[in-house]
Amino acid sequence: MILKTLFSQLLTKPATNRFPAKYMPKSVLGFLSRVKEGKATIVPPVPVPPRFRGKIAYSREKCIGCQLCIRVCPAKVIEFLPEAKKIRMHVARCTFCAQCVDACPVDALAESGGFLLSDTDRSSAALTVQ
Amino acid sequence: MPETQNVYEIPIGPIHPALKEPVRFTFQVEGERIRAVDVRAGFAHRGIEFMGMRRNLIQTLYLSERICGICSISHPIAITLAVERAAGIEVPPRAQYLRVIFSELERIHSHLLWAGVAAHELGFDTLLHLTWKVREQVLDILEELSGNRIDYAIPIYGGVRRDISPEQIPKVEAMIRYYRGLLEELVDAFLRDPSVAARTRDVGVLTPEEADLLCAVGPTARASGLSKDVRQDRPYLVYGELGVKAITPRDWGLEPRGDVYDKAVVRLLEVGQSLDLIETCLYEMPEGEITSFPKIPALLAHLKKAEGEGLGWHEAPRGEVIHYIRLEAGVEEPVAWKVKAPTYSNLMSWVPMFADQEIADIPIIAASIDPCICCMDRVHMVRDGSPATLLKEDLLRLSREKTERLTGHPSPVTRHGGGL
Amino acid sequence: MTGLHLLWQAAAVLVGGGLLGLVYKGFDRKLAARMQARIGPPLRQPFLDVGKLLVKESVVPRDAVGWLFKAMPFLAVVASFTVLLYLPWGPFPAVLGRYGDAILVLYLLAVPALAMALGGFASGSPLATVGAQREIVMLMSYEFPLAVAVVGVAWRLATLGGSPAFSLAAIAASPLWGQVGPLGVIGLAILAACLLIVTPAELSKIPFDIPEAETEIAGGLMVEYSGTYLALFYLADAAKTIAMAALVVTLFVPYGIAGLLGLSGAGAQAVDLAFHLLKIFVVMFAAVTTVRVAMARLKIDQVARGFWLQITAVAVAGLVLLVLDRMVAG
Repeated sequence: MILKTLFSQLLTKPATNRFPAKYMPKSVLGFLSRVKEGKATIVPPVPVPPRFRGKIAYSREKCIGCQLCIRVCPAKVIEFLPEAKKIRMHVARCTFCAQCVDACPVDALAESGGFLLSDTDRSSAALTVQ
Repeated sequence: MPETQNVYEIPIGPIHPALKEPVRFTFQVEGERIRAVDVRAGFAHRGIEFMGMRRNLIQTLYLSERICGICSISHPIAITLAVERAAGIEVPPRAQYLRVIFSELERIHSHLLWAGVAAHELGFDTLLHLTWKVREQVLDILEELSGNRIDYAIPIYGGVRRDISPEQIPKVEAMIRYYRGLLEELVDAFLRDPSVAARTRDVGVLTPEEADLLCAVGPTARASGLSKDVRQDRPYLVYGELGVKAITPRDWGLEPRGDVYDKAVVRLLEVGQSLDLIETCLYEMPEGEITSFPKIPALLAHLKKAEGEGLGWHEAPRGEVIHYIRLEAGVEEPVAWKVKAPTYSNLMSWVPMFADQEIADIPIIAASIDPCICCMDRVHMVRDGSPATLLKEDLLRLSREKTERLTGHPSPVTRHGGGL
Repeated sequence: MTGLHLLWQAAAVLVGGGLLGLVYKGFDRKLAARMQARIGPPLRQPFLDVGKLLVKESVVPRDAVGWLFKAMPFLAVVASFTVLLYLPWGPFPAVLGRYGDAILVLYLLAVPALAMALGGFASGSPLATVGAQREIVMLMSYEFPLAVAVVGVAWRLATLGGSPAFSLAAIAASPLWGQVGPLGVIGLAILAACLLIVTPAELSKIPFDIPEAETEIAGGLMVEYSGTYLALFYLADAAKTIAMAALVVTLFVPYGIAGLLGLSGAGAQAVDLAFHLLKIFVVMFAAVTTVRVAMARLKIDQVARGFWLQITAVAVAGLVLLVLDRMVAG
């Protein structure tokens, strides 16, 4: 019955994965700065499978400026830079559908597994791919 | 309705712990008995059809995926079927099998999610945590196969975007074995628990006549004993070859009463059915192409030239979802796009289900149709504020009138001379 | 001198009881979480919760009956903490043991529930009204089996010469298990089981947390309480948990172990007190924690019918067995 499940779960490790810390720290920014100083560790996240839909990677040299990616992007993430005939992606809007990756005729775009993308500024360098 | 002094009006929603999505109930209660209920939706309306008709079809595909997070592949499947019918695009057999596999994986995850939510509404948080812990396996498989736990971005016009590689098949099989082993335990915990039975038996009853009159779909209708399943009634993809049968409580040896307990029975049994379907598909899937348009510019060009209209339907975890699309040659955006989500058909079932129940039953009855308000939400046009009952014939007539308004010519149903 | 001594003892019991209540609440949440395969909050979470609530704004709704709304949390906390003064603590007799007995404890245990119900009615919210109505119905349902259990034990002890009747000290000093025949043992076991079933109802925990049903009425009679008032209700609940568990232990398993271990003096007292607290914890774990993770919430009519018909019948059966035992023993 349910009691058997309850007691067996009592004696086994919880199913929760502890990324980034077991309990909520008093101050998140304080915790992060302690991690930077090496005084605290972050429990690593569960590893993602290959071909996980993360941040899109862009090879600027390969890009020919055909704008196919812009045509298929559902979230209007990609901005065309006319003078350089290259693109710039605003990751904050991206839904990671990777349709741009499929559309690109010269394989200038690729899926990467990056998903730790929080930032305080939506136009920061970490959230812009160019 | 005569207002006596003992009748309270209790508002539930749009923000309430019982509701996972915003919808406004207004109950007239006397003590603990519900005397009448008024349902008002529209809080999650986002204008998606409006947006879709201003984007090209590939962008609209991803928009349709985000109509709902739980039935996230049902909408892309329905819209791809609709566009493929409208534009005359063939889908290779392997892609059809892959679409079925992903749909059934989604059905498993959605029903397990529902089981957890229903347990939470009953105050049985242990089952919530148990079913959601168990659900992690199917989400891990979906992540392995498609790259994402929700919103898999798998269907594309002409096929699917990703294949299942031979290395991934053992993982899927391991998941199927895991769930097969667990299903009995889940059924035990849910359907044989006395406190759950005490809360769900004969609660929120929907008689078969009411279900038929109100056009209920999905497990809501099947729990009342109606053998209604789009995979069985109008086969599409490879469901015809797989021979899917609608599951009713009779498959578990129960006479259907249409209460919440029966709905739980139907959903848990469907998890077993989905596991069998996935296994069959994995074995029977032929080698071959996964899409008829591997090059996106070719697809975009074909879609731009396409002219016609198409109807795509799919048995989502909540019932029948239909997308209608009309394309015009030379125009990239769809000229008309209409979505009918399954909860839209099930919404009116709430009214007879709530009659004469108690306040304590409100959360579980509301959850029993597995409402996905975000799928369903549309704008309401209220004529003059007077209440009216619309039956199946009226709804059919109104829908056909709207179809004729949208398409400019008589509705396809009357043209092909048959009922649904 | 005795007056001051009494004051110190009372302060120790009140503060200690309050702290113990919060500590046990922490254990309850942690163990319940582990049984659900979760990590759960840290053990000090209830202290953090009370601290947080005390610094938050205490909102009084415009439609509420102001004075009643604000007074009820104080009444609840005063009543539940006062119960602690009438309960023996292992080797230590009840602080006010000479001034009140089991009957007074029964009455005092009902006061926090009444206070919450009145507070719910005074909240001016339809959800709180529903919750308060349910609380009153629950109170009427479980009081009878509770009274039967307590009265059964006290009466049987009185017939065996233990005196004064209903005095918790007397009940704790001579446990009945060894003094009654086989019929009496069965009767006592039945009464103990009934009291364990009444415990989650008394404390408003699943399956009987109907007045505060989270998913149904969004917190029920607590829905409008915030800040200091909610903190007081929280403390009242913590103290009541300890009180109810201590009552169960005092009535049915008041044994000490110092004698078995051959200790004496202050060591014996410490060990006996620790054992008493351990028994309270076990009662709480069995009757509150395990039950609340193993069942769904029941409906008020099911609970009312269940308590008035089945549980009362069982409790009365236990009482009848005790009466028969008395007649058999002569």
